[in-house]
Amino acid sequence: MKYNLELIKNKGKIIGFSTVLILLSLFGILYSTFNTSYKKPINLGMDFVGGNELRIERLCKEECSNFSPDSVLENLRENSKNKNLLNNIKLQSQNNNKLISIRTPYLSIEESNNLITNLDNIIGPLNYESKDSRLIGPKLGKRLLTNCVTSLLVSLFAISLYITIRFDKKYALFALLALFHDLLIVFGIFSWLGIILSVEVNSLFAVSLLTIAGYSVNDTVVIFDRIRENLKSKKEGYNETIQLSVNESFRRTTFTSITTLIPLLSIILFGSYSLFWFSLALSLGIIVGSYSSILLAPSLLLKD
Amino acid sequence: MKRRQGWLFFIIFLLTLSVYLLINYPLQLGLDLQGGSQLTLQIIKEEGKVARDELEAVNSVIDKRVNNLGVSESNLQTLGVDQLILELPGEQNPLVASRVLGKTALLEFRTQKEGTSTDLKTLQIQRLSIKELIEQYAFAEKNPNDDNFLNIIQDNLNDIEQDLNYSSTSNDLYGKLIEIKKYVNKEITNLFIKTNLSGKDLINAGRRQEQTNSNWEVLLTFSNSGGEKFAEITKSIAGTNQLLAIILDGESISEASVGNQFASTGITGGSATISGNFSAENARELEVQLKGGSLPLPIEIVETNTIGALLGSKNILKSLYAAISGLIFVGIFMIFNYRILGFVSVLSLILYGFFNLAIYSLIPVTLTLPGISGLILSIGMAVDANILIFERIREELYDGNTLTRSIDSGFQRANSSIVDGHITTLLSCFVLFLLGTNFVKGFAATLGIGVLISLFTSLNCSKTILRFFTTYQSLRQKNLYLPRNNFSN
Repeated sequence: MKYNLELIKNKGKIIGFSTVLILLSLFGILYSTFNTSYKKPINLGMDFVGGNELRIERLCKEECSNFSPDSVLENLRENSKNKNLLNNIKLQSQNNNKLISIRTPYLSIEESNNLITNLDNIIGPLNYESKDSRLIGPKLGKRLLTNCVTSLLVSLFAISLYITIRFDKKYALFALLALFHDLLIVFGIFSWLGIILSVEVNSLFAVSLLTIAGYSVNDTVVIFDRIRENLKSKKEGYNETIQLSVNESFRRTTFTSITTLIPLLSIILFGSYSLFWFSLALSLGIIVGSYSSILLAPSLLLKD
Repeated sequence: MKRRQGWLFFIIFLLTLSVYLLINYPLQLGLDLQGGSQLTLQIIKEEGKVARDELEAVNSVIDKRVNNLGVSESNLQTLGVDQLILELPGEQNPLVASRVLGKTALLEFRTQKEGTSTDLKTLQIQRLSIKELIEQYAFAEKNPNDDNFLNIIQDNLNDIEQDLNYSSTSNDLYGKLIEIKKYVNKEITNLFIKTNLSGKDLINAGRRQEQTNSNWEVLLTFSNSGGEKFAEITKSIAGTNQLLAIILDGESISEASVGNQFASTGITGGSATISGNFSAENARELEVQLKGGSLPLPIEIVETNTIGALLGSKNILKSLYAAISGLIFVGIFMIFNYRILGFVSVLSLILYGFFNLAIYSLIPVTLTLPGISGLILSIGMAVDANILIFERIREELYDGNTLTRSIDSGFQRANSSIVDGHITTLLSCFVLFLLGTNFVKGFAATLGIGVLISLFTSLNCSKTILRFFTTYQSLRQKNLYLPRNNFSN
């Protein structure tokens, strides 16, 4: 089975497509910074701003009774010692009223315990064995954010350094362009997800960006290696050799992406909810990464 | 061929070793998989960085307190330069731990300044009325219908605030009550002068119920020198109207007079009791804090995660489903595309899984949810190398080379780009491990270990298994290595 991607013919389209994606991402990031309530390029989650998140299931005999979140909140406020803290409370129910999730600003352990006791009184009994509670102080949140940004910058620097040493200047530049293209698009998609679905990013999102960076460069390295190898034993023209190399490594690149996507899909479908957005970010990164390795990076190498 | 057989035995040996390790050293599960609480404690220092020995000193005090609390199988470790992580497995409420650990527990003994008797009396009376208000508030909370009651408490509180010439800053009534109580206790402390006796002079602490009522008291046992100091101090104020105050973290918790009969020798025997109307719980908490000594630097609990046991076991099950289905579908994909080669990669993958888990139990790596996702993700990366090699083998076969030659050169030519390609992933893992939080470290560790092991399994193990297969004549037909319909050119 031979593949025949017409890279030379479609160079303009590929670069145009990527430009549109990048512009859309930038637009999302800017819109999120200037027009939404959180005023950040991306909707920062509890890991970074601090707060209290509680998920707990109700013990119901058969079906869980209906309740109105607003009246539960009203009740919670009345029973709370600290009225102000509960001004910013959000309550949701899932799984046919069984699973309750609550978000509030940062509470002390004592206050959070009181909240759960009150909740138990209102819509209990609750199944404490199913509890998932996280309390993060605002100080720690800030620290985590700096930590994540530093990790990202340091490893991007390390990867850039590695590529510059490993390849000629031109190759290194385009491999890095492809890398930033991938990261920017995944970041942009999550900006949009934040704007439209209020999806938040936590420290695992930073981890996924880092992993995408490593993976995307890996893919590009393999294809560029092939190009270099074929250019040494040059039979055809420069552009044709690049196109040939891409087609030769097309199977390998798509296959490895598929085998990496399969386990990620398994996590999305079967894994714990806390890994859902993480796996989604990784999957998107791998899809965008394969696209940029196969089509974008080599197209940039083509001569007019 | 001899050398390859050596490899085969080596791989079988490693597999046996892994199984043995896994049976004898079970995997350590993180709290998100077994249920439990995790508290992150941050050391607070106003100026400068927390020094190594300061961190260790805080660590040792916290460790003592945790042990005295009787929390089973708890785990305390330092994180970075100024944080500690305490893990409490199972259904243990982190509330008690947080109350006991968060206090500095600096114990002081002070003697009263002369001529402050009336000031002290007033403050003590105010403290008593606040205490009553707090009790009334607790009662009012249980009967929430009576708003009037709360108003009366508020009015009384306002009166006290006026007397004290202090206005509280808390937002709610309960917070105000607690704040005023603290303020009064601190004001009382100001009426006393420091002595040379402190919590450092204790060798033990205990508690018992008072005989006259249901309150508890805390017993202090001094060291030899501490006992002497205590005798001296009590001697100096015996029979006067000066009181001895016991002060915890700047708040006076008990003031007592020393009787005239101690004027010649002071109170000897090296022990004392604090009877400050403790409940059983409070007495126990103070006992634990005093036993552990005071913290050299204050700490703050900045993060608490609690996961129920049921949720933990659900998480294990979900991760197992994800891992196994991922493995099966990757296997199907590989066998469909590469036939025997695909089967070889599935065998290497299984070896890969065993080796990985064995390494986890050996190091040991505590498995957490992000850790498992790193492991599952590395399944995909482990076959990555196999695909690279198999594609080369296919090309060689298409070019009309013999099977043995194709396999040899496939492995040889793919070697360098495989190692190269994984370096960037390893770089990311390394940075994540160095700079990441506890949570992130698990992912970086499993992914990093996975990538390293995959180099061994996909290069060496695959080659050995493939060589072993090709010793059988029946397994050497080319069409077993290439989908037949493509094998035309």
